[in-house]
Amino acid sequence: MSFSNSLDQWIKGLKNATEYDVINARIDDLSLELNSAGFDRWGLHKESLRSIAPVIHVLYRHYFRVKVSGIQNFPEGRVVVVGNHGGQLPIDALMVGLASFMEASPPRICRAMIERWIPDIPFISTLFNRMGAVVGDPKVCRDLLQHDQPVLVFPEGARGTGKLYKDRYQLQKFGTGFLRLALESQAPILPVAIVGAEEVYPGVGNIKSLAKILGAPYFPVTPLFPWLGPLGLVPLPSQIHVRFAEPIRIDADPLAPEEELQKHVQHLKAIIREQIQVGLRERGEGIFP
Amino acid sequence: MKILVTGASGATARLVASAPIGQDHEWVGVDPRPLKSAGYFPGKTHVINYASRQLDDLMKQEQFDAVLHLGRIRDSQNYSHHHRFELNVVGTQRLLELCEKTKVKQLVVLSTYHVYGAHRLNSLYLTEDSPLRAIQTYADLSDAVELDHASTTFMWKVPHVTTTVLRPVNVIGRHVKNTLTSMLKAGLCPRMVGFDPLMQFIDEKDMARAILSVLGAPEPGVYNVAGEGVIPLSQVIAQVGARSVPVPPLVTSGMIRAIAKMLGVRFPAYFVDFFKYPVILKDESFREKFQYQPKVTTLQALSNLRPL
Repeated sequence: MSFSNSLDQWIKGLKNATEYDVINARIDDLSLELNSAGFDRWGLHKESLRSIAPVIHVLYRHYFRVKVSGIQNFPEGRVVVVGNHGGQLPIDALMVGLASFMEASPPRICRAMIERWIPDIPFISTLFNRMGAVVGDPKVCRDLLQHDQPVLVFPEGARGTGKLYKDRYQLQKFGTGFLRLALESQAPILPVAIVGAEEVYPGVGNIKSLAKILGAPYFPVTPLFPWLGPLGLVPLPSQIHVRFAEPIRIDADPLAPEEELQKHVQHLKAIIREQIQVGLRERGEGIFP
Repeated sequence: MKILVTGASGATARLVASAPIGQDHEWVGVDPRPLKSAGYFPGKTHVINYASRQLDDLMKQEQFDAVLHLGRIRDSQNYSHHHRFELNVVGTQRLLELCEKTKVKQLVVLSTYHVYGAHRLNSLYLTEDSPLRAIQTYADLSDAVELDHASTTFMWKVPHVTTTVLRPVNVIGRHVKNTLTSMLKAGLCPRMVGFDPLMQFIDEKDMARAILSVLGAPEPGVYNVAGEGVIPLSQVIAQVGARSVPVPPLVTSGMIRAIAKMLGVRFPAYFVDFFKYPVILKDESFREKFQYQPKVTTLQALSNLRPL
């Protein structure tokens, strides 16, 4: 009896610490159109989310100790969330996703636009899909926006994630595709700066020949990877700040020439850069500030 | 209306012709296969190779108002690749020519979503203008792509025959006998380890209704046709109560072909990729144009396959 009592207590304690009930209540509150099998149009599955979200939430709350600011800026309905990308693996995307799920009211699921080679990776491809991520393709993006979904894009793509530690927080080239799609769908753009995620896997090198063999955009070398094998995949516990700026509405022709749209993109990059600077001042620089 | 239906020994043809709204029409069925189920087809039936002269005689004699080309021979049936190409491509071309010559007013062609191919570069919700990547990877599907292509070309070239090409997702039900349905009914379905692609299904009765709705409102075009919603393969297998057979992710279609040959069974090797990548179609334009709504949900359609 006393054992089962203490076990009950322990489970209760664990549930409280992991905010298990809060997460489940938020999953219930998600406004999603589900079909008879319980899946939404792009493969998101609430029941799968119930087992995945608590695990990522432990990383979010206790490991990366994520601090969110400006969540009140998250607009209702369709929106294109645009952030800086870095840190070899998309930890930043996961954390923005969890921030919008845990802090926004009502909770939102950001639809991350993932790299085209991800569908070839077993397990990961399925996991991402159940969580609401979709392969980044203009057609899907248009479809998501038409259905009033928040879309998460990192216009730097692999140029951002693959960059080395010494280049952290230096925004790489942004394309204009995301902007054209936002303009076409008349969706606002929500700039977001992620500070701290670029230190999680500090890249010191890139073995290009190996990346070519594996068909990956880069093969990172960090102080721990690949030297320690799978252990090298353990992320460093760098504190992460997620800063949402105010949403912006751009008035331009979606078919305008590249140069004209690049002006707007530069403006957006300036906002993200500014937020990164504020974040870095607040958080402090380095892996363990 | 006097209507010619190809593939008359198949389940779809039978469901279309015997549906309540189909009873006002006069049906004539043809099929190169022996008509096992001839008794079920509500009309005259003939065993005819589409690529032969017999088809000319029949069509000239009967002067049909409409033609439903539902008789694509699939890979799973006992035809060699060569024979299948002859029937599907040469046969279809002959049928199209005869539609033009005998002044058929309406033609409906049943193609398949396989023409888009299962490819990692496919986006979710493929529209009708998406590239047909099937031939890029599988020669086995070349006849399906050619059939589709010949029909769409015909639609533009011969505007006085109102041609509608339908590309349906997996048709399932008690009566249809395609590869996936047969596997699910047999209670065993391969699954590639680590992959669980989203799939779309349409119930066989909804498929018949979709074809009849085109017949009722002639409108040229190419349309994707899907059922209610998406569902991953793992859930499909669970719903039907089948068991999954794990296949290592590095298995290639060549290996499957070799194994199938060794075991003496026919298994369309291109299925390997359909068990890996999702091929999801956008069907909104069909729904809008023909005021069509599927009646059977994906879950119902799948549970209909459960053994009694």
